[in-house]
Amino acid sequence: MTATDPEIALDASPIVAAAEPSRWRRVGRGLRTFIRRAPFSAFWGGLAAAILLMAIAAPVLAPYEPLKSDFRAMTKPPDEKHVFGTDQIGRDTLSRIIYGSRASLTVAIGAVLFGTTLGALWGLACGYFGGRFDIASQRIIEFLQSFPDLILAMAIAMALGAGLGTVIVAIAITRIPFGGRVIRAVVLSLKEMSYVEAARGLGASHLRMMARHILPQCIAPYLILATTHLGVAIIIEASLGFLGVGIPPPTPTWGNMLADSLNAGLVPPWWLVLFPGCAITITVLAFSLLGDGIRDLVDPRLRGALRQ
Amino acid sequence: MYSYIVRRLAFGLLTILGVSLIVFTVLRVLPGDPLVAIFGPEGFTKLSDAERARYMADLGLSDPLLVQYLNWMGDIVRGNLGRSFFRSESVAEMIARRGPLTAEIGIIAVILSWVVGIPVAIVSALRPNSVSDNVSRFFSILFLAIPGFWLGMLIVLASLFWFGYRVPLAGASLLEDPWTNLQVVIGPAVVLGLGQGAYIARMARSSLLEVVREDYVRTARAKGLPGRLVIALHALPNAMLPVITLSGILLGFVLAGSIPVERAFGTPGLGYAMYNAVRERDVFVMQNLVFLYAVVFVALNIFIDMTIAWLDPRIRYR
Repeated sequence: MTATDPEIALDASPIVAAAEPSRWRRVGRGLRTFIRRAPFSAFWGGLAAAILLMAIAAPVLAPYEPLKSDFRAMTKPPDEKHVFGTDQIGRDTLSRIIYGSRASLTVAIGAVLFGTTLGALWGLACGYFGGRFDIASQRIIEFLQSFPDLILAMAIAMALGAGLGTVIVAIAITRIPFGGRVIRAVVLSLKEMSYVEAARGLGASHLRMMARHILPQCIAPYLILATTHLGVAIIIEASLGFLGVGIPPPTPTWGNMLADSLNAGLVPPWWLVLFPGCAITITVLAFSLLGDGIRDLVDPRLRGALRQ
Repeated sequence: MYSYIVRRLAFGLLTILGVSLIVFTVLRVLPGDPLVAIFGPEGFTKLSDAERARYMADLGLSDPLLVQYLNWMGDIVRGNLGRSFFRSESVAEMIARRGPLTAEIGIIAVILSWVVGIPVAIVSALRPNSVSDNVSRFFSILFLAIPGFWLGMLIVLASLFWFGYRVPLAGASLLEDPWTNLQVVIGPAVVLGLGQGAYIARMARSSLLEVVREDYVRTARAKGLPGRLVIALHALPNAMLPVITLSGILLGFVLAGSIPVERAFGTPGLGYAMYNAVRERDVFVMQNLVFLYAVVFVALNIFIDMTIAWLDPRIRYR
């Protein structure tokens, strides 16, 4: 503890370099344990990873351009040329679903990175400092939670005007209260632990206490929360698209495709309804079951705090 | 109990005030020109500066924000909810006409979610980690993943495809024409009820599993009560408290979820009005509807909290 800062910095670099391979091995071992102990969740985790890869590799995987219309093949049911059929202006449904995963995942990951993380850090500060700051913060969180998620997201998306960025912001804001509540509860129980008191007794600063002693314990609950929120964010994004306040067309998103199908005539063709919805359901299912698996694997003590 | 009710109501008023501030900030203060929304980008560019200023003054948009906010609150207190730019009907009339349909959907959905969720939870909790438990857990998570509006579209499509049946488009009141009313309401209610039932099943299962470990349940078993009666008489009543609280939160899901679901079914309820307001960028209607939804949500949760306090003395006397 007597070491001054520059010395720590000098010492740190070789240690990190040496630790690098073992860290990878540790991740590999963790993965193997996960697969062995929760094969079901691991399968869905693999599927979630595959969907992520599909979004990244969309230009390679998609058989057609998602925006190119083919006027010789309009509203065609599935056949061997267009496996999932085409829409009313002859765009290939499979290609649009593959590209649609980009919009869904970008929005979901963006919303969770901003919203859940901001909420979690806010909750960390609330739980750690307590007092008036906490009371005021809890009121604001309460106000935000007085809106059903989708309605708040709709109002924000409408006020800011449609676009990728605004949809991310709108969904992120609805995620803040949940992150705040869960992490605050975790921090409140951590604060009573003797090792935290010991660190305080040694004269650690607030920042050091939070970053070194409290934050690491919050990572597991945060991860569980984030995976679950990914699924919720995907559903909200699809609903916004369906209601016409999501990412504006012609960008293919799953919600936009379902909204479009209602304009395809008096009776929407079944392939335009079935496949995009399946894409949403499978993706959300993959992320929620992965989240469940992580929760079962980590410390059972956390389950109480997370259920709220 | 009375002091609890007074405290809870005062708190609810504070929340509603906070909610109104958030609605106002989101819909009035954030960037986005309401005139562009009304006239469209093309129509907006055709207006002269004087015309723009006149419209802004007519709509009360050139006043300072604080005055605008107070005017809005005053209107709401007087029950004047304004009217849409695009329709002749006033917002208050629209709510009176469409509101009951959505309320009906919500009530049926909540009842259905209990009817489906609780038995599933009991089956799960009686033998945790058995095959039936795993199957019901998978199905409850599946129904959380299925977007309600998509399920609604599938139902509409399937009933048309196989039975040539189409839901009547005009809403009818429950008293005048109960049969038409039922046909309009049942689809959205089932879809929303199943989605909520999944949450209820998960919550009731974990809450039951916690209660089953309590001493008084062991005592009940020890005195020789059959397993089913132990669950029904001793475990279930206490396990229901968190489920009732969750129901309050889920009502919010129903209110919000009914917007896309009503769009999927073409139900002429309040959710569809909300969809229209969003599509037409009708800021004032949106502002009042969002506020209404939030107030209903807050009020329902106050009601739920009081029910819980009535059922559970531990909360009342805290």
